[in-house]
Amino acid sequence: MKIINWIKLQIWRWRANREYNKKIKELKKRDPFTYKNF
Amino acid sequence: MIKLGISAFYHDSAACIVVNNNVIAAAEEERFTGIKHDSSFPKNAIQWVLNESGYTINDINEVNWYENPETKDDRVKTIFNKRPIKTFFLRQRYFKNRKNNSPKNLLQDLGYTGKINYNNHHHSHASFSYYTSPFKDSAILTIDGVGEWETITISKAKGNTIEKLYSIDFPNSLGMLYSTITSFLGFKPNEGEYKVMGLAPYGNPITYHEKLNLIFNHSKQDLYLYQRYFAWEYSERIMFTKRLCQLLELQPRLPEEPITQDHKDLAATLQKLYEQEFKKLLKKAKELTGSSNICIGGGAAYNGVANVLAYKLFKNVHIPFAPSDAGSAIGACLTSHSDVSPYLGPRYNNKFIRRTIENVPGIQFFKLNNIHIVEKAAEFIAAGKIVAWFQDRMEFGARALGNRSILALPRNAKMREKLNYVVKKREGFRPFAPSVVLEEAERYFDIKEPVPFMNIVVKCKVKYLPAATHIDGTSRVQTVTREQNEPYYLLLKEVGRLTGVPVVLNTSFNLKDQTITMTPIQAMKRFMNSDIDVMVMNNFLILKK
Repeated sequence: MKIINWIKLQIWRWRANREYNKKIKELKKRDPFTYKNF
Repeated sequence: MIKLGISAFYHDSAACIVVNNNVIAAAEEERFTGIKHDSSFPKNAIQWVLNESGYTINDINEVNWYENPETKDDRVKTIFNKRPIKTFFLRQRYFKNRKNNSPKNLLQDLGYTGKINYNNHHHSHASFSYYTSPFKDSAILTIDGVGEWETITISKAKGNTIEKLYSIDFPNSLGMLYSTITSFLGFKPNEGEYKVMGLAPYGNPITYHEKLNLIFNHSKQDLYLYQRYFAWEYSERIMFTKRLCQLLELQPRLPEEPITQDHKDLAATLQKLYEQEFKKLLKKAKELTGSSNICIGGGAAYNGVANVLAYKLFKNVHIPFAPSDAGSAIGACLTSHSDVSPYLGPRYNNKFIRRTIENVPGIQFFKLNNIHIVEKAAEFIAAGKIVAWFQDRMEFGARALGNRSILALPRNAKMREKLNYVVKKREGFRPFAPSVVLEEAERYFDIKEPVPFMNIVVKCKVKYLPAATHIDGTSRVQTVTREQNEPYYLLLKEVGRLTGVPVVLNTSFNLKDQTITMTPIQAMKRFMNSDIDVMVMNNFLILKK
């Protein structure tokens, strides 16, 4: 049972990370989305 | 002594002319270019302040630049050196821009070859806050994204001297943290912070508190942010890393996506954490200076919800009308106290306005005397109309303080939705600020002292101002006196006579994503392209046919 839960958690994390990466990639494409500090 | 003050290349570029410590004229570059928070060299603003004051560039004795570019270079180099490969192209771009943006060369192009004084960024903030205050001694707290190295300073001021006692350096920055979460929530940094502040009362500050609190290292005595959550040091495209998403277990919001309860909760948590850190800094300022007065400066001083906390430790609080980088152009020039009004921008006479409006189709206009124009405008406001109010000199700073404003009756609950969705076409959760005559302010708002520049958020004591009261029962109030702005004061009095409440809802005269109106031509276009019912420009009452 523990192993199954662990696998489920890993899948959930992998999916979440994939979404985070997508969003970050999308945001980077937009107008500079930062506070200018350089 | 004639000084030209300049701020440029971060955001809110501005220029001013200061003669013998008196500010003659000041304007932000964005008003001329129409680019919000324009950070380019303010050549239009410089040209205008020179014309307005009647000087030429050759008359200028010295230029006061609001920061020290060499110290800033030092910071940027040091930060880039931490990640030489990752920042390789960024470094090339930065130093190419620096070469093109050398203050000396840019001023030479304008024909100026005289002395340039480079001031410390946070000293310019501190100077603007303190020298425009009524205090002879004070603590000064400045907070912004970053200056050269500093992000927070505490100084002690006495007479004409300001002594820095404490500072926190980049990359530990409360301003940058606020901007990061602003961008995480899908709002543009350096612009959307107001939206986050407005969103916060809709959320629960507990939901993300434990998680967001983990970005601070509380074992350190001073503010310390774990940089693994932030990309400030090596990216100019994004402010946060995937680790922040993982920490919050929340997807960053794209601007076009709907705002969910999670976003509201995160905004509330951020505001709460900001207030916690702000309180610590206030306590430190009190301990270090022992003063009963405090001046607050830097872009973070626009956080009116946090600012009110200063009254817990200090008897008197002063926050100037343009605490962000724009005001630093003035701060860099001041060396002692100066009675500076926020109405420092362009003005247009009745003749100019008549020429602008006389050939515009679809309108009718009437020229009225000073008393009748106030009476008529008040009648329209009392009747529930939306009135654009354009008078005398444009304000300097982010707030419309009654010379370039859209006004309406705050007693009508639907007015907020109408203004947000129909006129300004912006998010419905955003609150509007009320203006009230000072002598009656305490009847409606829980104020400790006059708030002429809308930089303190206070509790509204009455239930019948729904359009100017936020969901948590607070208002970002502006108190108005006759000395400060006579026509606006008289208008408020007249509205009070007609409705029994001398309060109007005051929002800046601009439409979505526009800068505040500067010229009568702009005003006319915006009036015709919006659902504003009536416009008053100086002595002209303008109606749509």
